[in-house]
Amino acid sequence: MFGYLRPEISELKVREYELYKSVYCGLCKSMGKDYGILTRLTLSYDCTLLAMFAISLKGECSHVKDGRCVVNPLKKCRFCSSEGDGFRFAGAVSVIMTYYKLSDTISDSGLIKRGAARLLKGLFRRSYKRAEKAFPDIAVSVKEMLGRQQQAENNESGIDSASEPTAALLSELCRSLSQDEMQKRILGTFGYYLGRWIYIMDAADDLEKDMKHNSFNPFRKHISDDISQTMSYCNEVLNMTVAQLVPAYDLLELDSYKEILDNVMYFGLSFQQKHCLFDKKKSKKCRNKEKDLFAYLSKGDKRS
Amino acid sequence: MNDPYKVLGVTPSASDADIKKAYRELAKKYHPDKYADSPLADLASEKMKEVNEAYEQIMNERKNGGSSSYSSYGSASYSNAGQGGYSNSYSGADPVYSRIRKMINDGLFVQAEQELSGIPSANRGAEWYYLMGVVYYRKGFLEDAYNYFQTACRMDPANVEYRSMFTRIQQQRSGTQNGYNPNTAAQNSCNCLDCCECISCMLCSDCLCNSCG
Repeated sequence: MFGYLRPEISELKVREYELYKSVYCGLCKSMGKDYGILTRLTLSYDCTLLAMFAISLKGECSHVKDGRCVVNPLKKCRFCSSEGDGFRFAGAVSVIMTYYKLSDTISDSGLIKRGAARLLKGLFRRSYKRAEKAFPDIAVSVKEMLGRQQQAENNESGIDSASEPTAALLSELCRSLSQDEMQKRILGTFGYYLGRWIYIMDAADDLEKDMKHNSFNPFRKHISDDISQTMSYCNEVLNMTVAQLVPAYDLLELDSYKEILDNVMYFGLSFQQKHCLFDKKKSKKCRNKEKDLFAYLSKGDKRS
Repeated sequence: MNDPYKVLGVTPSASDADIKKAYRELAKKYHPDKYADSPLADLASEKMKEVNEAYEQIMNERKNGGSSSYSSYGSASYSNAGQGGYSNSYSGADPVYSRIRKMINDGLFVQAEQELSGIPSANRGAEWYYLMGVVYYRKGFLEDAYNYFQTACRMDPANVEYRSMFTRIQQQRSGTQNGYNPNTAAQNSCNCLDCCECISCMLCSDCLCNSCG
């Protein structure tokens, strides 16, 4: 996953922020314990959110303990742990996704990258086996998703068809978080648009890079000379997705972490859109302008 | 029946104003307009009903207890909406399209799509594009849906049904309700100078407090 699903920290209360951090650290610790130390490297904001959803939807009891950071033992840290398998679930998703992503990299990258991916994949194999054993359904869904993703890319699909595999996967994962039929229905819709949002956000964010490397991007057909116009278009597509996502989210019966999850849905998504599509690009543009100015000035020097 | 206070998310000791505020927020959250084209419209209207009933129950109890009067805030208009569907608003007579509309209303989107694809492109009018848009919208293929609605509107600009759907979607895309609207960015974004000022102010007051205490 990509790390776009995070709360807007300025809108969080301090205790909510502390709690969020403790979930993040708790997931890191639990991944290390359940699937091996290396898998901690795959920790992401997206999976943290997934863990919170799992715990909240299942009504699992969670508590916070003091401890020390596993990466930096000098740092004091608070860890959240739960009695159910919310953390194990989110960890498995992270491990399995990473493993298949590596397979993907091996099949379509340059020589050096391929070698590195192969090495990592070897190191991850045992962790993957553990995760697969604990959650066989996830492994099947992820594998199927990547296959369909490949197909969509080969067909040069549009935005809808290209985002569908990710959307369907998230829909499947979210549905598995509840036993209740009505909740499952809501979660199916919610997951679909969540996956769609993540995929489109990633595609829009990578557009310039993909153009440079001439790799597939669903927005390629919509590119215009003015990059800000293209980004406005991407933003519109994302807004329309959020307009479906938030109503579905509002119907969910959530137990714990409601404030943080609300924050991600109501502020976090739009903040990411703003940050990735407008602010980042703008700063790059400013830098280019500076470069232009510099080139212009040095030219002037030569002229004189 | 659930505890009406729990439904509204307030304590029984809450004031009338608080209850009204909580009710307004929930009514906005589950408003039928927000779920007009959503596959979850039925669940939202159920929630809305629950919230309306809870509010009425609390207010009735309080009224009988003599604490205050209340105005039933749009409960009638909320409970009826959201069940319109796609067939009621259309009075045209093409039997093929009314059959497809019925399929869409019954949730048979795959069949509706097949049926629509079977219509030769020479016979595809504005309504064909509109219905195709509805099918794609419900499938979650939002961009394709948007394009179909756009075409429908272009072919038949006078049609109220197509126009209102298209306007709704344009509103969604603008990001005024959910998502990000770049045009209002100036108001929302945090002004860096203010932050600095705020922090320095806090630091100063912290120093003062420490020296006093």
